[in-house]
Amino acid sequence: MNNNDFSVKTALQICQVFFLMILTACTTTEIDQFRQSDTEISADESIVILGRRQGTSHETELDFVECVGDVVASGNDGINVIPEETFLDEMFPFFEPRTAPMRTDHLEQLMAQDIAAEKLEDFGVEYIVWLDGLTQRSGETGSISCAVGPGGGGCFGFGTWTDDSNFEAEIWDMDTLTSAGAISADANGQSYLPAIFLPIPLLARVESNVCSGMGEQLKSFLNGSV
Amino acid sequence: MIGSTHNLKHMFSRFRISTLLFLCCALVSCSSVSTINIEGSYPSPLVSQLPLTLGVIYDNAFSDYSFTEVDEYSGEDQYIINSGASQVELFSTILPAVFNQVIYLSSADEASAYPNLDIIFTPAIEEFQIGLPQKTRLDVYEIWVKYNMRLTAPNGSSIADWVMTAYGKAPQSTFGSVDAGVNEAAIEAFRDLAATFSLGLTSIPEVNNWLQVNNVL
Repeated sequence: MNNNDFSVKTALQICQVFFLMILTACTTTEIDQFRQSDTEISADESIVILGRRQGTSHETELDFVECVGDVVASGNDGINVIPEETFLDEMFPFFEPRTAPMRTDHLEQLMAQDIAAEKLEDFGVEYIVWLDGLTQRSGETGSISCAVGPGGGGCFGFGTWTDDSNFEAEIWDMDTLTSAGAISADANGQSYLPAIFLPIPLLARVESNVCSGMGEQLKSFLNGSV
Repeated sequence: MIGSTHNLKHMFSRFRISTLLFLCCALVSCSSVSTINIEGSYPSPLVSQLPLTLGVIYDNAFSDYSFTEVDEYSGEDQYIINSGASQVELFSTILPAVFNQVIYLSSADEASAYPNLDIIFTPAIEEFQIGLPQKTRLDVYEIWVKYNMRLTAPNGSSIADWVMTAYGKAPQSTFGSVDAGVNEAAIEAFRDLAATFSLGLTSIPEVNNWLQVNNVL
């Protein structure tokens, strides 16, 4: 066996290992829905998606809320979504972490105030969706060493970790001032970072999968199709 | 052979200089103080306006307020957080929404020039704390501010010393740099203050009592 055969064989083996990793760096997503009342939304009505930020241990990220909003607003059956920041600023100070309604009976109290009720009516908000959750990283193992010298540099090693996302959306009906239902989304996935000269990230798209899954389910829920 | 030895010596010399420069830069960056100027915009609160004329005094301790975070190991200044200007901007946004008319005073002595004044307001910061992820081991930047919202009558008699605490946090994952994280946490804390102030002012027993005595409520 000459050197060329050996190189080709080694390259093929490395490709096989990467291919296996790509296959295994996938995400498992589970979406559950709980409906309490019928829902429907017309083209001239809107929803707002807000992140819960009352907890001390975590807060729902702005990027995730925006991502779910983009999915809900996309496509032919897309729904008008009021941007979170616009809504919070226009409704200030009623939806700040310390003042936001935590339950639907608090929403009733809020709507009893004319100044808040009139503004919500101006917005044409038919549903308020509260998103709560986070993505946690665990099981980080492996190590990667990098070195730089006069002749160049490179990295060698292997790292892996698990991402676990848990999010819940609670939907409030602004006509009845009651909860219309809830959607929960759980996902987990293993990511890999092999490094042979260059680090090659093989990332499990956990949060983005939860975002698209949650967004599509929310859209179907509000359109009354599921 | 002589040429290659010379090249190696030259490379080694350059490597030593680069390493020294790098170490010097690292030492300078370790000992330098980072100044963070809090900057943000604040929405006007959606509240019913009180039919009162308010005189407001931003004293120098408030308008130039600066907090210095000291490194607990070295004892040296680590971060200087300048928030006075941003807090003046915050109150200049919320007060005209809460009160019918707002007059800016340089001192309490100036109040006599405005006979229509109903209340004089002097905000003061009593305490400022910062929580950095590298110290708290939490994934958030945090800011706590303890205020004394001093309300007095134009004749100088006290109406209320309303002590309140504002809190704001910003996730480390969203705001990668310390400057951006601290700035966002401070803005959240100031919004918290504005929300509590605008919704809670008339519920403070001393203020509520004064408003009822003066037939405002």
